[in-house]
Amino acid sequence: MKKNNIEGWLFVSPLVIWISLIILVPIYIAFELSLFNVKIIGTSGKFVGIENYIKLFGKSKFLNASLNSLYWIIGNAICQTFLAFTIALTINYKFPGKKIMANWIILSFIIPTVVVVVIWKLMLSSSSGVINSVLIDIGLLDDATGFFSSPNKAFISLVLINSWRWSPFLALIILSGLNSINREMYDASKVDGANFVQQFLFITFPNLKSVLFVLGLVGTLLSFNIFDIIWLITKGGPSSATTTLPLLIYETAFTKFRISQAATLSIVTSFLLLLFSILFIKSMAPKEDD
Amino acid sequence: MIKENNIKLIFLSLSLLLIILIFFFPFFWIITSSFKTPAEIIATSTTIIPRSFTLEHYNKILFNSDFFIYLKNSLIVSFSSMIISIILSVSAAYGLHKLKFYGNKFVEYSLLVTYAFPGVILLVPIYLLFAKVNLLNSYFALIIVNVLFATPFAVWMLKAFFMLIPNEIEEAAYIDGASRYIVISRIIVPLAAPGIASVSIFCFIISWTEYLFASILISGDNLKTLPVGLAGIVGQYQIDWGFLLSGAVLASLPVILLFVFIGRYFVSGLTEGSVK
Repeated sequence: MKKNNIEGWLFVSPLVIWISLIILVPIYIAFELSLFNVKIIGTSGKFVGIENYIKLFGKSKFLNASLNSLYWIIGNAICQTFLAFTIALTINYKFPGKKIMANWIILSFIIPTVVVVVIWKLMLSSSSGVINSVLIDIGLLDDATGFFSSPNKAFISLVLINSWRWSPFLALIILSGLNSINREMYDASKVDGANFVQQFLFITFPNLKSVLFVLGLVGTLLSFNIFDIIWLITKGGPSSATTTLPLLIYETAFTKFRISQAATLSIVTSFLLLLFSILFIKSMAPKEDD
Repeated sequence: MIKENNIKLIFLSLSLLLIILIFFFPFFWIITSSFKTPAEIIATSTTIIPRSFTLEHYNKILFNSDFFIYLKNSLIVSFSSMIISIILSVSAAYGLHKLKFYGNKFVEYSLLVTYAFPGVILLVPIYLLFAKVNLLNSYFALIIVNVLFATPFAVWMLKAFFMLIPNEIEEAAYIDGASRYIVISRIIVPLAAPGIASVSIFCFIISWTEYLFASILISGDNLKTLPVGLAGIVGQYQIDWGFLLSGAVLASLPVILLFVFIGRYFVSGLTEGSVK
């Protein structure tokens, strides 16, 4: 098809302008703030140059939050890949009730995150949670455990809760990839004697490349951005074990009232995410023949 | 052959059981719990089948709380965000995938990357920006932000639907003398209707579930959305579980109802549009 430069841009520009304005203007404001020493919102501070940046890299809190974010992304990626593939491959088979399940599996994604928090706070409650009593009944636990009381348990519980919310949605996107694979390839491989593990490794997986590319990029960024589930359940605790970068930014700005520090953190974080995105696209983008 | 099928069947049943247990049981649990007496909700011995039944929590939340104010706010914000998002993303998706202009790959990837910027990174500067232009404490503040969160993925979802429409149909219409406007409103939009329906639900859900910005940009009680109202109860020292659970069920009800009617478009929109 021939290119339609002016008209094409005309159709895209309302959205591009909307998004650029709401991203670029705030980034500019944040950058400006990061060069000053502003504490409470609305007050003015003195110009300090790059001092905020230098201070930031020496802070153990920043290092701790960055590592937590890294573990958060890795933990969620592993957990969600496993759950999403399990769901997608299961729903891809024919069984009674398949349609209903495919339509409603996404329930955990369409409800507000606050409701996700309510569900799991109740289910995992140490005093009356159903998970604790089931684990005690089947003999896996002697006493009720506080799932959010120790640093490791809290972190793992949050990863599982977040994965519970997101994997059905990811599963449906993987399903779209599965549906686009030519059925004949499976039949042909069967004739050649391939079993279903081989089919998965040599047909399913390679054909999902473009879907997995988008999921890898968007999924990583989306997991990085998770704030409400963590904040509403643990507030970043116990002892900062679940404070990821988004929580640190929020805390710095709205509970410690260090606006310039929060802005500096935001700039550094955006830079890291942008770097990740560029590297990811450059190295993983599937080749397209136009 | 039979052996492999048996293994498959065992795998399938096991994973089905696991999926039902993990993804559906929690809903059964909170819905039934919201009808239990406070004593049974916090009882240490748990029974799967509820022993008590009461409507007191629903009574309290419907007639003795700000539930309807929050509901109204959430509905206004979500519907407005949805409509604006659809208009912007349908137009952008048409330009990107039907017109093909210089730089379209760049715009397409940049849109995906914009997921990097939303969220907490923009929180502080957007708060300051909105304070400067007097947008704090307004529906419009939330709408602006929700559109930003919903549209990048919406454009990506629409891509599959637009690609399915053969260019020949459009070209035939142009030969017959149709204008661009006629082609879009009479051909593209009707043919992509299932896609547009699924994108609408997606945009609605994004706005309906948004908590972070709603909690910071709105401080007046009369403008708070449902998630923020609910979070207020979660944060209390002594949680009134019955009240909270009935609130959680009611806050999920509108999206669930929406899903009953057009949910299959959303799911088929996500799963059947060929991703090429």
